[in-house]
Amino acid sequence: MRIAIANGTFQAAYLFDIFKKAGHRVILINSSRDDANYLLRTKHAKVFVGNPWSRHVLEDAGVASADLFISLCDEDTDNFASCLVAKKVFGVRRVISLVKNPQSVEIFRKLGIDSAISSTYLVGQSIMNESSVESIIKTLSLENDKIVLLEATILPRQKIAHKKIMDISFPKFAAIAAIYRNYSVIIPNGQVELYPKDKLLIVCGKEDEEKVLAYVRDEA
Amino acid sequence: MKNKTVILGCGRLGASLASYAANKGLNVIVVDSSKDSFDRLEEPFSGFTVTGDATDTNLLEKEAYIQTAQEVIVTTGNDNVNLYLAHLCSLVYKVPRIIVRFDDPKYEILIKDLEGVSAVYPFQLSYESIVKLGEAEE
Repeated sequence: MRIAIANGTFQAAYLFDIFKKAGHRVILINSSRDDANYLLRTKHAKVFVGNPWSRHVLEDAGVASADLFISLCDEDTDNFASCLVAKKVFGVRRVISLVKNPQSVEIFRKLGIDSAISSTYLVGQSIMNESSVESIIKTLSLENDKIVLLEATILPRQKIAHKKIMDISFPKFAAIAAIYRNYSVIIPNGQVELYPKDKLLIVCGKEDEEKVLAYVRDEA
Repeated sequence: MKNKTVILGCGRLGASLASYAANKGLNVIVVDSSKDSFDRLEEPFSGFTVTGDATDTNLLEKEAYIQTAQEVIVTTGNDNVNLYLAHLCSLVYKVPRIIVRFDDPKYEILIKDLEGVSAVYPFQLSYESIVKLGEAEE
């Protein structure tokens, strides 16, 4: 895959390493000559210098051939402009933007940016996930929050404990993808019995998350 | 408040348009991050001024009442901010009429699919006027 990274200093260097290691081709673009020199010095990578929202800079960098465009500018509006140029002018299929203002996460998605990432938003999300650990349930969102992976530990008092999967009417809109028990993974079929302390990995649509949680938590 | 015009950016152009619209009897709300920029408004100014960041949705909704605006004029000094605001006003707030100013005429392709948006390019206008003056001389 070809990945273009616009702006960013340490973040760009870090992502550059990850993507290179995974065998991707990385295009670096940076509006600051100092940052470009830093990337050149530390990563020995070619950097196209110029504003990533400028059409001729992205053209020189060959962004039209990129499969993914990641914008790491300091200003949210600069990230928006860069992503829009990459998408509308150069036809990059997937664009990801860093955003400073956590409010922008939702708005950027509404404005057609495939993914918007805010560190504050992520901190908030992970704190919320932490707090749901107390209720023994962790969630992971996939595909822009459309699919969720729930991790639920079975408690002895729950209705589904000590029952075979075939005997409980597990909701049709969700599936138990795996059970983690005694350090081993079980891919379940109807014959498998659920025990307390089993960790269930459940896949479902975001809209059904609450219903699934309610079902699992239901106590006898 | 009916027939409301929201002007984002109170530079020379924004301030002149705000004064013009207010004198015409329209309800005008003008937003700028710098309080001093409102000195450019003609006295007396019958509209409202809001000091703050025009990209802040809280401010747009609760202080500039963007959701019920008839018209938004986007004239901040930064093309990327203007581009973002044009998209936001069109796609999220569905403002019926949006006029946006860009220094760089290349931004045209980035807004051409947006509902209700028309753009003005001072560079293009100056260029055309100067070429026309040159032709008149010949």
